Amino acid sequence: MATRNRTTVYRKHRDACKSARAPLSLSASDSFGGPVIEMVSGSFTRSNHTSYAPLNSNDPGPSSSDAFTIGMPPAWVDDSEEITFNIQKVRDKMSELAKAHSKALMPTFGDNKGIQRVVEMLTHDITDLLRNSEKRLQKLSTRGPSEESNLRKNVQRSLATDLQNLSMDLRRKQSTYLKRLQQQKEGQDGVDLEFNLNGKMSRLDEDDELGGMGLDEHQTIKLKKGQHVSAEREREIQQVLGSVNDLAQIMKDLSALVIDQGTIVDRIDYNIQNVSTSVEEGYKQLQKAERTQREGAMVKCATILLILCLIMIVLLVLKNLLL
Amino acid sequence: MVLVTSVRDYINRMLQDISGMKVLILDSETVSNVSIVYSQSELLQKEVFLVEMIDSISVSKESMSHLKAVYFIRPTSENIQKLRYQLANPRFGEYHLFFSNLLKDTQIHILADSDEQEVVQQVQEYYADFVAGDPYHFTLNMASNHLYMIPAVVDPAGLQRFSDRVVDGIAAVFLALKRRPVIRYQRTSDTAKRIAQESAKLMYQQESALFDFRRTESSPLLLVIDRRDDPVTPLLNQWTYQAMVHELIGLQDNKVDLKAIGSLPKDQQVEVVLSSEQDAFFKSNMYENFGDIGMNIKRMVDDFQQVAKSNQNIQTVEDMARFVDNYPEYKKMQGNVSKHVTLVTEMSKLVEARKLMMVSQTEQDLACNGGQGAAYEAVTDLLSNESVSDIDRLRLVMLYALRYEKENPVQLMQLFNKLASRSPKYKPGLVQFLLKQAGVEKRTGDLFGNRDLLNIARNMARGLKGVENVYTQHQPLLFQTMESITRGRLRDVDYPFVGDHYQQGRPQEVVIFMVGGTTYEESRSVALQNATNSGIRFILGGTAVLNSKRFLKDLEEAQRISRSGSHMV
Repeated sequence: MATRNRTTVYRKHRDACKSARAPLSLSASDSFGGPVIEMVSGSFTRSNHTSYAPLNSNDPGPSSSDAFTIGMPPAWVDDSEEITFNIQKVRDKMSELAKAHSKALMPTFGDNKGIQRVVEMLTHDITDLLRNSEKRLQKLSTRGPSEESNLRKNVQRSLATDLQNLSMDLRRKQSTYLKRLQQQKEGQDGVDLEFNLNGKMSRLDEDDELGGMGLDEHQTIKLKKGQHVSAEREREIQQVLGSVNDLAQIMKDLSALVIDQGTIVDRIDYNIQNVSTSVEEGYKQLQKAERTQREGAMVKCATILLILCLIMIVLLVLKNLLL
Repeated sequence: MVLVTSVRDYINRMLQDISGMKVLILDSETVSNVSIVYSQSELLQKEVFLVEMIDSISVSKESMSHLKAVYFIRPTSENIQKLRYQLANPRFGEYHLFFSNLLKDTQIHILADSDEQEVVQQVQEYYADFVAGDPYHFTLNMASNHLYMIPAVVDPAGLQRFSDRVVDGIAAVFLALKRRPVIRYQRTSDTAKRIAQESAKLMYQQESALFDFRRTESSPLLLVIDRRDDPVTPLLNQWTYQAMVHELIGLQDNKVDLKAIGSLPKDQQVEVVLSSEQDAFFKSNMYENFGDIGMNIKRMVDDFQQVAKSNQNIQTVEDMARFVDNYPEYKKMQGNVSKHVTLVTEMSKLVEARKLMMVSQTEQDLACNGGQGAAYEAVTDLLSNESVSDIDRLRLVMLYALRYEKENPVQLMQLFNKLASRSPKYKPGLVQFLLKQAGVEKRTGDLFGNRDLLNIARNMARGLKGVENVYTQHQPLLFQTMESITRGRLRDVDYPFVGDHYQQGRPQEVVIFMVGGTTYEESRSVALQNATNSGIRFILGGTAVLNSKRFLKDLEEAQRISRSGSHMV
C-alpha cells in the first residue's frame, strides 16, 4: 500500500508557470507585496525553484477557491440536502425512541401514559419524516440519458438505500416493542384479567346461587378498570400495527430504487457500459427518426409535384381543347 | 495483505478524504481494476454519484461545478493529453488526480502548465495498476497478449510496449505489497529475461528510493516465467467450477456473459457476476469439481425451496412482518440460486453436446500418462467422431504432438493430415508453430515428468495408486515449480537471479509472473497451496487469463505476424 504524493512537485511547477506566464501583470497590480520584496523574490524564483515555497504565504494559496468560483448547484441539490438532513433527524429520533421504548416496557407501579405518549409521538414523527423524505425522493427522478439525470438517479439510489435501512431499523424496533408489549399483556394483565373475570364469573354464579344479591360495588369498579386497561393496550397495539403497515408501504416504494448487492447491476463497469449503450441506442433512434422525417418530407414534395403535374396536364388539355 | 484488499484500501483512501458529491473518472484499464473489487453501492456510500470514462467526460461541455472530480487513471500520454484539455476548461469544481502508476516529471509539468485556473487539489500515485480477480491471482488484461511469442526483431516497438506494461504492472504489485523482491527468471525465455531485467532496473536503479521499504528478514521472490514452458494447461478441458466457466463460457473480470451461449429466455439477465468476494456459494465451490458442484447446487436449491415454502404460508401479522424482514435476503438468495443453476445447466448442455467427458479423458491421458500407441489410437478415434468439435480436435492433436514430439514422426504426420481433412477451418502449420514455440527443446521445466528418473518413478507410483478423478488428475507445471521453491530446490542454472541480489534463506512471499497468461487451473493450484500453510505465500499473476480459445487465438495471431515478418526479412 505504498503511495507517493506528487502534489508539492505539481504545485511548485504550477506556481512557477503562473509567475512565468504573467510576470508583468503581477508586478503591476500587486498591491500588498511591496515592490522591493517582489523584486527580490522574483529574481529568486527564476534562479531557483525550490526556494519559491516560502513565497506561497504571500499568495492567497492555490487551495483557496477564489481562483475558481464554485458555481451555483442546481435546485435538486437542495432536495437531496433536505433529505440528508431529514435522515440525520430520523437517526436522532430513533435513538430517543429506543430509550423511550425501554422505559415504556419497564414495569412501573404508577401510570406510564406519559412515556407511552412520548413513544407514540416519536413514532409518528419518524414515520412522517420518512414519508416526507420519500416523497421528496420521488421528485429527484428524471428521464433522459444525460449525465445530469444519471447523477440524479445515483443520488436518489444512495438516499433510498439510507432510507430503506432506517425504515428497516424502525420496523424491527417496532415489532420487538410490539411483541414485548403483547407478552406483557399476556403475562400480567392477561392472566390477571382472565383470573379476575373467571373469579367474577364464578362469583356471579355463586351470587346467583346465593340469591341474586347483585354485583359487589368494589368488584364492578375493578372489572371496569381491567376492561379499560385492556382497551388501552389494544389501541396501542393497533397504532403500532398501523405504523408498521405504513412503513411496509414505504419500504416497497423504496425497494424499487435500491440496488441489489452482488448482482450485475451493482457492477461499476456494467453501469458505465449501460449508459454508453443507452446513449448509442438513443443516437441510433434519433438518426432513424431523422431519416423517416426526411423521407416524409421528400414523399410530401413528390406528391405535391405530382399533383401539380396533373393539374398542369389537365390545364394543358383544357387549353388545347378550347383552342 | 492480499491483492483484493489492497486495491480496495487504495480506493477507500482515495474517496474518504474528499467530502461532498464526487464524480469518479476512470480510463479503460482502471475501470476493470476498480470494478472487480468495488461495487456501485459502495461507491454511492462514499458519495460518488457519477462514474464516467475519461473519453466521455471530455465530450460534454455542461458545467458541473458542484461536483468534485476524482480521476483514477493510468499515466499514459493519451490520458495526460485528455486531462490537459479538461484542465484548460474545467467542468468540475475541484480536481483530485490519482494515477495508478509512476508519473514522469514531464507529465506533471504538462499538467501543471495547463492548470491555469488552479483547480487541481492533489496529485497522487496510488499503485493499483492490476486487476485483482481473486485474493492470490491478478492479471494485467493485456489485449496484445500474443506478442510474447514474437522474436524482438520482428516488432521491436510492439514488444517494448508489451514489456513496459508488464514491468509497470509488476512494479505496482510490489509497491502495493510494500516489498522489493529479488528477481529470477526462466533462462530459456527471452521475453521473461527482458522483463525481469527491466523490473530490476526500475526497482534497484531508477526508483530505488521508492522501493526502499523496511527490510524483512528474507526478501520476497519475483519469478518471471514463460507460458510456453507449460503449453499443456491452457489446452486442457477444465472440470473445476471457476476454470470450467472460463473454459466453456468465458469469464471477464469476474463477469460471465451469457449472451454468447444464446438459447436463454428473454427475461433472464444476460450477464452475471461470479466473484468469490460477494458470493459465498461461489467462494466455497469455485475449486470444486463439476460433480460435487451439482450436488451442492442441489442442496442449495432444496434450502431455497424450504425458505420459499415458509414464505408462502403467511397467515398472521407476525408472519407478514417476518416475511418483509427477510424479503431482501430471500430475493438475494433467489437471484443466486437461479444464477448458479443457469450456469451449471448451460455447462452440462455443452459437455453433452461436445462429448467433453470422452474428449477430456483422452486429454488427461495424454497429459499425465504414457503409452504412445494407445494414445495414437484414442486420438484417431476422436478425430473421426462426428460430434467432437473442431477446437477439441485441434487441441487433441496439439496435446499429442507436444507429448510425443520425438516418437514415431510418421504417425504424427498422419494425425496432421487427418486433422486438416476433418477440420476445414484448421489453419495449416499451427501445430508445427506450437512445437516450434513450445517444443521440448524450448522448455525448461519437466512438463511431462519424464526427464529424470525421480519424476518417472513418481509418475509410476501414482499410476499404481490409481487416481481419484480421471478428469482432474492433471497438475500444472506450476505446482512442481511451487514445490521446488518451497523446498529451496529451484535450480539456479534454469532460473538465474538478476543482478547481484541473491536469495538469503527461504522467501516468505513469492510472486510468480507468467508472461503469456495464467489459467484458472493454476490459480486454483496456488490457492490450494496457500491453504496448506507452508509458510510461503504465493501470488500468481499474468498478462491475461487464458482459456483454450484465447490461447489458440494468441497462437494464431503470433503465427500470422511471424510469417509476415519472415517475409519482410
